[in-house]
Amino acid sequence: MRRRKKKQKKKFRPVRYAPTPVLGAADRHMVSRFSYGTTPELVREVQSAGGGLAWFEQQLATAYADPAGDAAIGDWWPDLHRDAATLWKRQQDEVRAVWEVMSDYSCRLMVRRMTSPHQVLERMTEFFEAHLHVPVNGDKQGVWRASYGDVIRRHALGRFDEMLVEAITHPSMLLFLDQAVSTKKAPNENLGRELLELHTVGVGHYTEDDVKASARILTGYRVDVWRTWAATYKPEDHWTGPVRVGDFVDANAAADGRDLVRRYLVHLAHHPQTAQRLARKLAVKFVRDDPPQALVDRLARTYLQHDTAIVPVLRELVRSVEFKGSRGVKLRDPSEDLVATYRALSATVRKPQRREDAANAMLWQSTVIGLAPMTWPRPDGQPLDNQAWATPARALASMDIHWSLAGGWWPKTGVDYLQPTDWVPELPMRFAPLVDHLSRRILGRPSTRGILKAASTAVGVKPTEEITADHPLMRWHFNRLLGSFLDNPLHYGR
Amino acid sequence: MTTSPLPRTSASGSDDCSCPEFRGADLSRRGFLRGLGLAGATMTVGSAVVTVGPSAPAAASGGSNVLVVLSMRGAADGLSLVVPHGDPVYYRARPRIAIPADRLVAKDGFFGLHPALSPLLPLWQQGRMGAVHATGLAVPNRSHFAAMEAVEDATPGSSERVGWLNRLIGDMPGTSPLQAVAVGSAPPSLYGPQPWMGFDRLDEVGVAGDDQWDPTDDRLRSLGKMWQRSRSPLAPALRSAMAAVEEIGPAQAQQQRSDNFPKSDLGKALSAVSRTIRGDIGASVITVDQGDWDMHSDLGTLEWGRMQRNADDFARSVAAFFEDLGPAADRVTLVTVSEFGRRVVENNNYGLDHGWGNVMFLFGAGVKGGYRGTWAGLGDGHDADLTVTTDYRSVLSEVVRTRTTVSTATVFPQFSPERVGAMAGV
Repeated sequence: MRRRKKKQKKKFRPVRYAPTPVLGAADRHMVSRFSYGTTPELVREVQSAGGGLAWFEQQLATAYADPAGDAAIGDWWPDLHRDAATLWKRQQDEVRAVWEVMSDYSCRLMVRRMTSPHQVLERMTEFFEAHLHVPVNGDKQGVWRASYGDVIRRHALGRFDEMLVEAITHPSMLLFLDQAVSTKKAPNENLGRELLELHTVGVGHYTEDDVKASARILTGYRVDVWRTWAATYKPEDHWTGPVRVGDFVDANAAADGRDLVRRYLVHLAHHPQTAQRLARKLAVKFVRDDPPQALVDRLARTYLQHDTAIVPVLRELVRSVEFKGSRGVKLRDPSEDLVATYRALSATVRKPQRREDAANAMLWQSTVIGLAPMTWPRPDGQPLDNQAWATPARALASMDIHWSLAGGWWPKTGVDYLQPTDWVPELPMRFAPLVDHLSRRILGRPSTRGILKAASTAVGVKPTEEITADHPLMRWHFNRLLGSFLDNPLHYGR
Repeated sequence: MTTSPLPRTSASGSDDCSCPEFRGADLSRRGFLRGLGLAGATMTVGSAVVTVGPSAPAAASGGSNVLVVLSMRGAADGLSLVVPHGDPVYYRARPRIAIPADRLVAKDGFFGLHPALSPLLPLWQQGRMGAVHATGLAVPNRSHFAAMEAVEDATPGSSERVGWLNRLIGDMPGTSPLQAVAVGSAPPSLYGPQPWMGFDRLDEVGVAGDDQWDPTDDRLRSLGKMWQRSRSPLAPALRSAMAAVEEIGPAQAQQQRSDNFPKSDLGKALSAVSRTIRGDIGASVITVDQGDWDMHSDLGTLEWGRMQRNADDFARSVAAFFEDLGPAADRVTLVTVSEFGRRVVENNNYGLDHGWGNVMFLFGAGVKGGYRGTWAGLGDGHDADLTVTTDYRSVLSEVVRTRTTVSTATVFPQFSPERVGAMAGV
């Protein structure tokens, strides 16, 4: 028995394939949290930057260096440039519905995440677009939604107070949370409440009277719904009189409340509880589901000391011991899973010509796994923790999507997949080093005994077997081999 | 290249896995998959649960009672669904969106149903539909998210995130993940150490690659090697899913009659729930969601708006569900939960802001038909609520007590239910 085990051990000893570069564990950890998944280009980029931290700094320094170039990435859906009135008219004329345009929006986000060289900017755009969440589903907010995304992107590595002022008063947000139809006679509480609960101080740090005052402060913004969609400010709809929200007190005597709103939002952005809430969310997203309070406190302090600037907080986060100690504990959410899978497979998505082309089909793929970008139906934004995505349905759905991509079966068009001969660095070669090469490419790390065993079992090939061009693996089973990497627990983590 | 060893918390490959092989060994394919599911159960609760017995064959528990929990997400307005026409404040508070008394159905001296609920009248008349009004959390909580968490955990004061349905299945005999099934999005009430299963589309449940081109089950064995001992956060769910796949066939084999259901998400989901029940796969708890109840604007009137649309979908879906179940309906109880109710007074947008008390519906086996609940009288100040007089856990306790063998003290710790009379025999 013992001898058999020893023999087994030897049988599945991994063999190195050194020519395929990988990052060290710390650098890999950095990019797995702050990029959308490994690619050979990313590995080279990190190596030439001089490591993960240097790469991160480079990303911060160049995030806004080429806005025109960034805007061109995935700029394949012309309807995203149309204004609200035009989109609405086209829906009325039955040319194209708003929800279809919003599908374009989710797809463009995924293509940007997949291909943008500014990975950290994409990550932070996603984070704040979810924090100040306006779902793309819904005609009201949909007609204004693309420009809302631009606002978030512009501030995602800037200052939160500036982002908050622009986001909360943007027509898309006003429409989503009913502020655009609120009046002084009976102020609608929807935005006033979520501003406090979700966007700033958080539950437990405001009262019901605060909610009412918050709703009153925000009155006056109007959108001409279901007609021109023009956004205006109407002093006659603004509630005047003294207001108090926590320690924010104002006489609110002016008919035009816009400056009041600006002061109110800046106040909330600088509130210590807002700092706590944002710091915690950042730590949950980028460190672990149960971040130590000490880390949250440090991040919150940095945020306040730097007048709500986001970059100093991120710099502190990536240098923390808590960050370094959190390798492998975060689960990819559905769209992260999908984008990382395309990247791991070096599948190149092209400008779509048809509905079923990859750039469009990705929407359905991420929906199948659990959620397409920005389609979370509630105002709290999609969950950042593991639990929400650690469901049986998600597990089966991810395996399904991985399998179809490994085989190149769906989507079939608008994408270039690598062929088996592209995956094999040399021929003939033995199976074990091939597995090591694939592990480096797809999982970003050398193979282990477990990886080799799983691969060997998946295709019924022994580690020492020689793979030639007409080996059954190359002719029939390569998808099964790729599948064993995409369904490795490591590919599900980030 | 440098590589450092993986930390303890990381999801690592199963290097020294002594996983059972099922081919050529003493384990059948089914036993292998079930074993994976069991690995999930013991994995998550730790070594304390070494007494977990062999997985009960699903068929053995077939024919048992089923509890379906339908969550109305976004906080439904109970005052529009079950209208207190006998309370004069109702009409004063809602000059534009109140439902005229002469349009209500199943009307008694005080309550009546929204006319869009008419498809449910046969169930009502047979005494198989009940409504308990003025239910909810003991203290108002107007945050959707905090309220949902409180309602679904049902353990006030505890920081542990375990849902009440997870505690419920934890106390049932057997360990099959199919004991609890989430159709559509999975509610936090299911979260916890006990394994459960979920799917969006019943017919698509399966492991990709486990097909006729893989007669030797290489794919499943490869997955088993990677996941059996994995500490990935996904591992318990993935193992549950693989174990469930093998047992779900009888549900998939049930005839699909979705044409009789509304084409909505709820209609599709309840059609799948019906097949799951008819297939006798041992599901004791099934969850399903209906969204879009958060009507700050455009709740509307009987002629237009979101209320008549959502109520219509709800009523037709539930009616079709009980029709579709056939004889199996005799063992199915459906109960609705919503995170809170809405204000008494309408706002300026034909809508209602966040309130407190709400109505809970009960349908099917063991239900005592008719209106119930204690009415404290509506207030008509701008921020008046429907006062909660019945803790929602009292209603659920009666369901648990009459339809399962589980102790309500396990499901709702530190809670003493009051008698509601919503179920027969309490």
